[in-house]
Amino acid sequence: MSQSPDTPNLRFSAKAVAELESLKTHYPNLKACILPALWIAQREYGGHLPPEAIAEVAHRLKRSPAEVQGVATFYSMYNTGHKPGRHMIEVCTCLTCSVCGAWDVAAYLEQKLGIKMGETTPDGMFTLHGVECLNACDRAPLIQVGDEYHGPMDEQKIDALLERLRNEPESKVVALADALVQVHLKEEEREKARRAAEAVRN
Amino acid sequence: MARKTDAPPVNITINGIDLQVPKGELIVESVKRLGLEIPIFCYHPRMKPVGMCRMCLVEVGMKQPDGSVRKMPKPQAACTLPASEGLVIFTDTEQIHKDRKGVLEFLLINHPLDCPICDRGGECPLQNNTLFYGPSTSRFVEMKRHAVKAYPLSKHVTLDLERCIQCGRCVRFTEEISGDAQLAFRHRGAEMQPVTFELEEFTSKFSGNTIEICPVGALTSSHYRFRARPWDLETAPGICTMCSNGCNVWFDRRKGKLVRINGRTNEAVNEEWTCDKGKFGTDWMNNPRRASDVKVRRGDGFSRADWAEAYAEILERFREGGHEVAGLAGPMLSNEDLYLLRRMFDETFGSSNLDHRMTSVQGPAVEPPSFTIEGLEDEKGAFVFGASLSDESPIVYLRLRKAWYRQGARICVATSRPDDADAFAAVSVRYPQGGEAEFLRSLVAELRVQLEGGRSFGELADLASTLLETRGPILATESLWNLDQAGEVLAQLRLAAELLGVSLNVMALGANGQGAEELGVRPDAFDRTGLGTRQILEACADGRIRALWLAGVDPFEAFPDRSLVQRALENVEYLVVQTALETEAAAYASVVLPITAPGESDGSFTNVERRVQAFEKAVDPPAEAKPAWRVFSELMVRAEPRTPHFSAREILAEIAREVPAFQGVEWSAARDGGVLLGARRPLSRARS
Repeated sequence: MSQSPDTPNLRFSAKAVAELESLKTHYPNLKACILPALWIAQREYGGHLPPEAIAEVAHRLKRSPAEVQGVATFYSMYNTGHKPGRHMIEVCTCLTCSVCGAWDVAAYLEQKLGIKMGETTPDGMFTLHGVECLNACDRAPLIQVGDEYHGPMDEQKIDALLERLRNEPESKVVALADALVQVHLKEEEREKARRAAEAVRN
Repeated sequence: MARKTDAPPVNITINGIDLQVPKGELIVESVKRLGLEIPIFCYHPRMKPVGMCRMCLVEVGMKQPDGSVRKMPKPQAACTLPASEGLVIFTDTEQIHKDRKGVLEFLLINHPLDCPICDRGGECPLQNNTLFYGPSTSRFVEMKRHAVKAYPLSKHVTLDLERCIQCGRCVRFTEEISGDAQLAFRHRGAEMQPVTFELEEFTSKFSGNTIEICPVGALTSSHYRFRARPWDLETAPGICTMCSNGCNVWFDRRKGKLVRINGRTNEAVNEEWTCDKGKFGTDWMNNPRRASDVKVRRGDGFSRADWAEAYAEILERFREGGHEVAGLAGPMLSNEDLYLLRRMFDETFGSSNLDHRMTSVQGPAVEPPSFTIEGLEDEKGAFVFGASLSDESPIVYLRLRKAWYRQGARICVATSRPDDADAFAAVSVRYPQGGEAEFLRSLVAELRVQLEGGRSFGELADLASTLLETRGPILATESLWNLDQAGEVLAQLRLAAELLGVSLNVMALGANGQGAEELGVRPDAFDRTGLGTRQILEACADGRIRALWLAGVDPFEAFPDRSLVQRALENVEYLVVQTALETEAAAYASVVLPITAPGESDGSFTNVERRVQAFEKAVDPPAEAKPAWRVFSELMVRAEPRTPHFSAREILAEIAREVPAFQGVEWSAARDGGVLLGARRPLSRARS
């Protein structure tokens, strides 16, 4: 609250501001609004939550930046570490997938992309992560890219998937953040945000 | 936790003993009624329970209709368990001892056990609980978590992350008590760290408290780190003198030297908190520039002298000096010092030119404050005018914040600059610097309009309506005498107080500023007429005053007009500087007399709410330093044979006899909790 009296650099788009204003009305207090606000920030900052993004959320919700950072770093789906690549490939490593060959999938991806788990390719295209159960054991071994599930995976399918993703201009990480923002909003609130974005464009 | 409770009583049983407690009382508090103890880490009676550490596990059962007790299958955390009818608690079963052992074993997995070099070692709750309830050996042979050692969060607080047991006390303190929310837990699991945003500086004005409430040595004082072991410390109760709030503190000293100040519990004043100014105020007492010798000017330099020589010289200049001598008194002089100083000027020097006020102008006396710090908690609101309370009166600030946090009090703030209190104020209004009087005139006008049923628009109207709804005390500080239109501001404040039917409190800023007012250390007290501070300095500058006595004050630091001070000190013929430090003014002195710092002698202070609090010598003074009152007493004896005063207690007894406001004040009562002066007026009309 009194920590950063000077306003941080604000980068939210008109659409994001409209969305946040709608979200604020969903909760009894602004503290409860931190999680969805962080999804907006993750989308606005290109799939990443650098300290500036956290400062912006804190400023907009009148919370202390320390608190917001505490929340953001608690959850693994907020990318508070290094900036992720355009697409994030998450390999399920839980029981069923492991039994069905998740580690072979992981090793193949590591070899193919030339990176280890948790790293990002130098061209900023892919980030590779091992994650806990994705709740789709019927498709083991499973990998998740943004809001898409792919499985069961083998080497040909991985090659095809990587090829497709390379040609996909839009970031799957941002798309996932956006999808998560949208599920928080009612239809009329989405419409309001669209109009706000258009008003700026014109 | 709750101060007063209207909750109905319920019957509970603890370890087979039946007792009645208010419904909803936390079990961790209820067991204290039986003199039992439940080990805790994260629970703190002044903060909301979180149940993070699991140390306070108890077995819980419910009385069944047939009289038997059905136990819950798992133990419960006593700190989050409210009392309810028929609850049966077991704190001493085999199961609980096993559970406690398990919790401690987990807590110790990542704890470095560097107790032999840890500041907390010897006064550490983790050590104590482990000794009483924990396992004697560890089964953990794996690698411990390693983290940064000695990370400086600020110039006061050093974080040793490895030792943290993640109880969240510090985090909750900054959120609930100080309100700046600067600390938060980052990351999770074993990696969780209580840190500031991006490891920025921990700038809270109350950061030192987190060191005290940390149940391990994770947050340590940068100043005290590795300076002493707790069992080597001698500790003595004292009163903080860095501002007028009069916080109760412990002075911890090692080999006679002050190394640490901790908060001491006094529910009526500081609860158990301190501000950083007070907590880390050890430095000035250990300052290498402490004045320790009596010095007299000989030619261009000083030569050491003995007290008798100095007294003789001083008496020659001051005795019967009348209007040609004057004195200025500092904010850290005790009641006893001030009382004898005034008597010495009255009786020995025959002068009324004596003042303690260091504001730009010296106005007529203002009625003494009538609020109490504790009473602020029950107010529906308060009006803070022109004061930055978090700096000027930190403990009053904490109470106001608590009133808002706990009871939803609506605090109104009107200042010329953004203030910390804005964060919780119901209404906060800015006026331009220099526009105080005009602002208050419009506020008074708006109050009149609203009292007659009207209302205009804008923030001023909001302020006025909130004030009329809450009718809490008006809080200002004596810094209003630094304003250009101080008289008019005060008149308007009085008018506003009258319209609202509330008390106007002009709070003193110096540790004993209120005491100086009560004891008449001002030229117009007791129907005398003398010169005020500004006039004294002016008279010194043009030679009308020939001898000036600076008792524990450096006007270069305290008085706003530096050039006037310089002219005064350069031109006055004879200057006595009675000081604890080699101040700038001391360079101009004819005689330098070393005095003891507060805590180095007995004495009493009157704080901002007119509470007289006595303290006894805790630290040894530098070799020749004397308490100021002893100097005054010895001078008076030399001037005229009489029985000198031998102790501060004796002087306080005399004050109680001679000064009406102090009637009935006794040393022992003043030492143990303090005595409020004067008949109390009701806090505000709206409450009755």
